Amino acid sequence: MSIGRYLLRRALVALLLVFVVSSGTLLLTRLAPGDSATDAGLASDPAQRARLRGELGLDRPLGAQYLDWLAGALRFDLGWSVVFSRPVADLLSERALNTAVLASVALVGATAVGVPLGLYTGAHASGFGPGLVRTLSVVILSVPPLLGSLFFMLFAARTGWLPVGGMTSSVLADSGWMTWAIDLARHIPLPALALALPLAATLEQLQSQAIRESLREPFVRAAQARGLTFSQALRHHAWRVSLAPVLGLYGLMIGSLFSGSFAVEVVTGWPGLGRLMFDALRARDLYLVTGCAAAGACFIALGTLTADVMLVAADPRRRMGDLR
Amino acid sequence: MNRQSRALLTIVIVAIILIPYAYCARGRDEAPPSALAPPPTEQPTRGGTLIATARSEPRSFNRVASRDFPTELFATLTQGRLVRVNRQTQEIEPWLAEKWTTSDDGRSFTLTLRDGVVWSDGIPFTSADVLFTFQAVYDEAVGSHYTSTFRVAGKPLTVTAPDARTVVITYPAPFAPGIRQLDNLTLLPKHKLEAALTAGTLAKAWTAATPPAELVSIGPFMLTRYEPGQRLVYERNPRYWRRDAQGQQLPYLDQIVIEIIPEQDTEMVRLQAGQVDFGQQQLRATDIAGMRTLAAQGKLQLLDLGVSTDPDSFFFNLRAKQWANDPRGAWLPRKEFRQAISHAVDREAFAETVFLGEAVPIHGPVTPGNTRWFWPNIPRYEYSVEKARALLEGLGLKNRDQDEWLEDDNGTEARFTLQTFRGSSILERSAAVLRDDLQKIGIAVDVVALEANTVISRMLEGQFEAVWMAFQGDLDPALNKDYWLSSGTAHVWNLNQQTPATDWERQIDELMTQQASVADESERKRIFNDVQRIFSEHLPILHFATPRLYLAVTPRVVNLQLAQSRPQLLWSPDTLAIRGGGRPAS
Repeated sequence: MSIGRYLLRRALVALLLVFVVSSGTLLLTRLAPGDSATDAGLASDPAQRARLRGELGLDRPLGAQYLDWLAGALRFDLGWSVVFSRPVADLLSERALNTAVLASVALVGATAVGVPLGLYTGAHASGFGPGLVRTLSVVILSVPPLLGSLFFMLFAARTGWLPVGGMTSSVLADSGWMTWAIDLARHIPLPALALALPLAATLEQLQSQAIRESLREPFVRAAQARGLTFSQALRHHAWRVSLAPVLGLYGLMIGSLFSGSFAVEVVTGWPGLGRLMFDALRARDLYLVTGCAAAGACFIALGTLTADVMLVAADPRRRMGDLR
Repeated sequence: MNRQSRALLTIVIVAIILIPYAYCARGRDEAPPSALAPPPTEQPTRGGTLIATARSEPRSFNRVASRDFPTELFATLTQGRLVRVNRQTQEIEPWLAEKWTTSDDGRSFTLTLRDGVVWSDGIPFTSADVLFTFQAVYDEAVGSHYTSTFRVAGKPLTVTAPDARTVVITYPAPFAPGIRQLDNLTLLPKHKLEAALTAGTLAKAWTAATPPAELVSIGPFMLTRYEPGQRLVYERNPRYWRRDAQGQQLPYLDQIVIEIIPEQDTEMVRLQAGQVDFGQQQLRATDIAGMRTLAAQGKLQLLDLGVSTDPDSFFFNLRAKQWANDPRGAWLPRKEFRQAISHAVDREAFAETVFLGEAVPIHGPVTPGNTRWFWPNIPRYEYSVEKARALLEGLGLKNRDQDEWLEDDNGTEARFTLQTFRGSSILERSAAVLRDDLQKIGIAVDVVALEANTVISRMLEGQFEAVWMAFQGDLDPALNKDYWLSSGTAHVWNLNQQTPATDWERQIDELMTQQASVADESERKRIFNDVQRIFSEHLPILHFATPRLYLAVTPRVVNLQLAQSRPQLLWSPDTLAIRGGGRPAS
């Protein structure tokens, strides 16, 4: 299969995924008890609530409302957010950018730490160093992101080394872009660490396991028999092969990171997609919930595609046609 | 009731203080308190930035169209009203109206507007703005939440403007709170919004997407920056009209920043780090001990706001159709069943367990925090398992099969499902304590914690057996008619009745209508005590304890005027100050 056809096929699958996820989200959110008008609840009389529901189109049959939304979505009009009084598309693009900044830093950090450590522990079955890394990995993996975020918040508060939450400081908002960038750089480490550490631990464990298995492969042993040192066999043969399972997960990691994290973004006050989804769900903001879900599905599709391409690049035995 | 109506609540308390005074002063110029800022508790320094927090973002900057708390906070900081209820003293104060007279029949108020007041863009504030605001309130296309508030006996108020500085407001029927109600009305700038009203688009004007430069202010601050998901930045309004006793123009602060922090744990951490000065929500019971330690170390000020006036409410569905085909209908909706529950709960232990001791036991919906309307002699249900069992036995509920639960004659178990808000530790703990207490008298409670929106939705549709939830109401019962009247939208146990479903609800309807139209405060109180007596006998809502409210504030904030209703510290933003100016650590 040519690369062009492969990419086209993947794009169609991605579109289908986005369509199914967003449609399902809209229908489920619409069918669940309560809606945006419920928020007015006891404060408004039935007539006011009915008027509000009418304005939001919630009094229309489900099918008609869905078709309207679908027609709008085809024109990239994802509807209007009740919570923010703004078009959903505008909100998504704004928040996706914030999440992308955070996710990129977290992904690079997790990869830079997790993969080398996985190589290290996989290549060394015993010893104090590998044992310490494995223990730390298990500890980090067992800490939920919420607690991790709170821990880093407390750390920042106690030491005063980093700002406690937020994306930028109000003090510096009117300063130049360089000052703004430095301020942003001071705010990123805290949420990025909360996101990256569990991913790094996951990557470490996965890479470690994969490298152990690949070291047992006959062709790696044969390479060593031909005179390659252990280190050379590891770098030139075993590592490439071991990337397959790691990259398989990498795609999902990219997708979930760029979709935003509820826990980390809410706790650290990062104005990204995860927090947007949280606000949308809390207020039962139908079109915003749907938009966030669609954005998440897009990122998952893009993440898996990226991982597949990386896998082909990493493993010369594979070709696009091998990927399904 | 909606939490955003807390400002309205506060207004109302004060009404009572004013009524006798207003009647004494009928037909002549009244001498309301001065609008000059009171002498500060500490000579404030001009300048500085104060950083407070909010849980969510404004849905709109249009107070007539939206009543959510961030919008209300925006209005408090940047907009104006004719009169203000001082949240601390509960007295009514002249604001954009500098004085007023009351007609002999007490229904008509002639207000004189302050001279020389201008909007932040330099356009003078006149009676045309007031007329325009009322026009918007009653415009059907706007669909304002104010519309029902500013109807008395089902009719709108009549508002006229004989000249640019005079406004005459006439109520269609006697209304005890009178112009105290105007504290809640945010005035609109006619010159900016008239076109939208004419076009029928006022409800969509001044949305959260409107650039701050297009919003004009008449309050102490102007919104200059809104960073979605992060913060709102308010700068001093250089054209603000108010001065302190020394003649210094207010506000003292240069800037107020509202950081949007959706999570209370995060807010606590940032507060302790000194990165925000205070939050908008009272401390949780679990945080108070830690804050006391920090206060003792001088790192924070711990402010006691008193007893909450909004107790959590536990109630059964008393709609007849709910129980029509249910075998439990013979005993579950009966008042004796609720009385038995009231006897079965040890309120002291409840306060200790649920609120970690930071609460007081209560026996009705009006708590000791509502000093004006609290009735200490309300009939009480002492803690007595024996009395509870006797009442249940009177309903035919006995333990017939030697298990731990009671059954009726038909063998139907004494059991009900209680819905409450998931994620609210107080409500979930309350439900757990109730379940344990009722187990002792043989009643089984199935607790279901659901998303708040779902609980409210099911409650509005009548799809519940029992609910435990939090909602706020106005302090003055006359402004809380949706709760008390059987036709009310907050008459939660049986909403929106066409005619009173029961004789006792009819009695309450009559008494509440009467007390809202009586001028004499002691008479109003006597009538309302009667209402509380009837309520206590029938217990449509059960209350067990209400918390004490605390706020933590950084030591650099001075000239604090505490109020119980939100915004507890920002209700008077122009007099707040920062010791030595400056701003907190970034």
